[in-house]
This record gives sequence, structure tokens and C-alpha cells, in this order.
Amino acid sequence: MRDFLRWQKRNLVTLLMLAPGLASFFGLFVYPILVTIVRSLKPEGQSAGWTLENYINFLSKPSARGVILLTFILAISSTLLSIVLSVPLALILREKVRGHRLLRLTILVPITVPGLIGAFGLLLFWGSRGWVNLFLTQFVPFIHEPIRVNYTIPGLILFYVWHYFPYTCITTLSTLESLDRSIEEAAAVAGANGWQVLRHIVLPLIMPGILAGSVLTFMAAFGSFSIPLITGGNYRPLSVEIYTQIDVFTPARWSMASAMAIVMAALQVVFLSLYMRILRRPAA
Amino acid sequence: MTTARQYLQAIFNAKKLLIYTFLLSFFLYVMSPFAMILAKSVGKDWFGRKWLPPTLTLDWYRWAVEVAGIPEITKNTLIIAALAVAISTLIGIPTGWALGRRSIPGKEVLMSIILLPRMIPPICYALGVARIFYRLHLVNTHIGVALAHVAICAPYAILVLSSTFEGLDERVLEAASVCGANAVRRFFHVILPLVMPGILSSMIFTFTTSYNEFTLTLMTFGPRTVTLPIRTYLAVGEGYWEVTAAMSVILIIPSFIVLFLIQREVAPEKLVGGFKGV
Repeated sequence: MRDFLRWQKRNLVTLLMLAPGLASFFGLFVYPILVTIVRSLKPEGQSAGWTLENYINFLSKPSARGVILLTFILAISSTLLSIVLSVPLALILREKVRGHRLLRLTILVPITVPGLIGAFGLLLFWGSRGWVNLFLTQFVPFIHEPIRVNYTIPGLILFYVWHYFPYTCITTLSTLESLDRSIEEAAAVAGANGWQVLRHIVLPLIMPGILAGSVLTFMAAFGSFSIPLITGGNYRPLSVEIYTQIDVFTPARWSMASAMAIVMAALQVVFLSLYMRILRRPAA
Repeated sequence: MTTARQYLQAIFNAKKLLIYTFLLSFFLYVMSPFAMILAKSVGKDWFGRKWLPPTLTLDWYRWAVEVAGIPEITKNTLIIAALAVAISTLIGIPTGWALGRRSIPGKEVLMSIILLPRMIPPICYALGVARIFYRLHLVNTHIGVALAHVAICAPYAILVLSSTFEGLDERVLEAASVCGANAVRRFFHVILPLVMPGILSSMIFTFTTSYNEFTLTLMTFGPRTVTLPIRTYLAVGEGYWEVTAAMSVILIIPSFIVLFLIQREVAPEKLVGGFKGV
């Protein structure tokens, strides 16, 4: 009996310790989501009655498909490009080349500075009067007119990669550094050349790290808001489209915005669970 | 034979050159935007095809301070960040301790549930937060904006602190008891010094998250709680790019200080879970 009481007391203490975390989780996340779901099921501007028309209106519009497609195109292509950038970078930085400390610090910059500042700087740098176009028009033959980068889809992808590649890169680098060098040496001794070691030994071993990092990049790119808000121009992915509903329209279309937010969250969850399932599958 | 060797040497040199070109272009890709912001913020009459502004000026900084009210806005930002850090740490310490050191059924599931706010795009629940805060009159107050930030800061504080507490070695605590330390002494002289780095890194991360947070601030700010990212966003919209550049330079200084601290004190891979792009 006394043991039982002690056990119960211990559980109570544990629960009390968990309470602040659970309170913030339910109060600042679950409750807002529930409010959003309820709002999305109400007719626009009214508090009575239930309806699905917000979802139907949003999903039946041809533009909605375009918006969702754009969101996925941006997120997927920037994730793939991040991998393409990160793997060689990580392979080089592992060798402790000259200046590798500075470069490691450089990788952290995009995720430490406010995203807006980065986006603003990128707009200046890639703009028609920016240094990139100055370089192209002055030093590259056959280019006399500035190339339009800002407010185009390739430009947006370029900016997304700038902002979100560090997740992939840092994970890849840390996986690579925890790798046992003797495996590669064994392969080299067995007669594999540099390319074969890379292709058959190193890449398969660091694949889990690359994929785990790319999930983070994908998540961040899918939910990205401030970057497309100021660099997107006419290309508005879901997050910006949601904000437009309450910022541009008067009266604000809260129900529509809520329905879109729920669709976005659902897409994110579905895509992530698919991704996780692929990740868990035994290495191909 | 010598020609073959020279040929191989040439390939080797070219490979080295290729690697350094790659690294240099990567460095320029990441860092040039900041150099350009800096040039823009001190430049005057910078039109047309010029690499650098023809005349230098500090006028835009004066504008940023006098017209855009940067000191007031910095004060707001720091108050909000301090509140968010304090609240998240107070939430993170007990919950992190429970998750790190006590036996809880379904701990893994609980942990991933608590981390959900970092996986769902913030805009999805920012709408709900805004509606609730309007009703509670929390919009346009410092504590309200800070609470909105806690939604995204607290999960990370819990994650970092629970792994810190989990790493505490039971044997060290026992040794302290054996050597005659009572509970109070043990707490101040053994546990606290051991967990302090973890608490500090959690505070650094939550500070940066709150300092950079844009989405949740945009949904809950008012005239009295404009923060630096919001002001920058408004300035970009207003089109005074030189003043925006000057503001960005001011806004970026704390970020670089944090970056320096992180590089010295914390392993960078811990960061990955820490920051979420906004």
C-alpha cells in the first residue's frame, strides 16, 4: 500500500513536471489548430451554421491546383538542388582543406540571420543592377542585357536553396565525419579506385544522413513564408496565398484562409509520412 | 615517362583548381548578398552599371534611427525575445527533466508530439493564434507576441534540455552524495555546473528563433509591438531600399554575434533541429 502511494506520488510529480510543456503545446498549438478548423467549417463572415463550401470553393478553383503545384515544385526542386550542392561540399570540407573553418561558418549563416534580410540581400545581389548581372554583362561574351532572376521561378528556387541547404549540408557533413575511414581504406587496398570507393562505399553509407537532412530542407521550404512574400512577385505559394486572403481582401476572408491553412497542414503531414516510410525502407 | 607524369600532375592541379573554384563560388553565393547590403547602406547616387557606390554617406543610418524609429523597435524586439526566452526556459526545465530522467510510458511518441509545432508550417496555426489573441486582447502587447513565439521556441527548449538532462551521469550524483553533499549543495555545486552549457545553448537558440521570427509576429503585432523583422518587411514594401539596407545591417549584428557564440560553444549539427526557417 505504501509502495503504491509512493508510486502514485512519483507519477503525480512527473505529470506536474510535464504540465508546463503540455500546457504550451495544447494552448499555443492544438487550440489554435482547432480554432482554425472550426473557422474553416463556418460560412464566410458568419458564426452560425456549418459548411464545407470553403474547402470546395478553394479546391475546385483551377488556380488552387496551380498554387499547390507551385508549392511542391519549389519545395522539391530546392531540396534536390540542396543535395546536389551539399554532397560535394561536405566531401571537400571533410578533407580539412584550407579555409574550411570559414566555410563551415558560412554554411551556418543562412539559418542564423533573419530570413527577410537574406531575401532582401539576394534581391539586391541578383537584381538587374546587382553584382551578378554586372559580372555577366561585363565579362561574359554575348550577354549584353541583364538576366532577369528576381520574381521568376528559377530565381525563387535559387533563393530557397540559399536559405534551406544548410539543413542538408550540416547533417551530411556530420554523418560523413562520423564515418569510419578504415572501411574506405580497406576498399582502396582491395583495389577500388577513388570513384568506386565514393560510389559503392561512401555514398551508400551516408545516404541516411543525406535523406534525413533533406527532410528538414523540404519541411522548411514547403512552409516558407517570408521569402516568397517579398521575393515571389506574382508567384505565390500556399503560405503567401493564405496571408493574401486576410491581408489584401476586405473584409478579411478568414474562413477561406483557415480552410487553406488546414489543407496545407494536411499536405505537409501526408508528404512527411510518405517520406518517412520511404526512409524507413531498408536501404536500396 | 616524364610527359605522363606531367600530364597526371596537370590533372591533379586542375582538380585542385576546380575544388577551389567551387568553394569560392559557394562562398560568394552565400556571403555576397550581405556585402551588397552593406554597400547599399553606405552608398549615395548608386545608379546604373557601377560596382560600388560613387559617394559614401551615413544618411541612411540617420534615417533609420530618426524616421523608422530603430531604437524603439530594437527595444520592442529585445523585450519580446527576453520574455520568450524566459518563458520557454521555464517551460523547458521541468518538462525536459521529466522527459530526460523519468520513466514515462510512450516517451518517444510524446516527444515527437511536442515537436509537432516545428514540423507544421507556422502560418497554419498562426491564423488560430491571431484569432485567439484578438479575443483575449493579447494582440499588440509585448507579452502576447512573446507568447506566440513560445509556441515555436518551447519545443526546442524542451528538446535541447531533455537531452542535456539525459546526459547527466547518475554516478557523479551518487559520488557527490557519498562525499557528503546534501541535496542543496549537490544541486548548486554538481548539477548546475553540469547542465549550465545545455541551458545556455537552449537560451541562445530560443533567442535567435524569437529574434528572427516573422510569421507569428506578423499575425500578432500592432503599432506598439513592431519588431525588427516586421519593420524591415514594411520598409521593403515602402521601397526605400537604402534605408532598408541600413536597417538590415543593424539587425544583422546580433545574428553574427550568435553565430560566433554557436561556433565556439555548440556543435553545429545540434543547430539543425534548432532553427526552422520562417
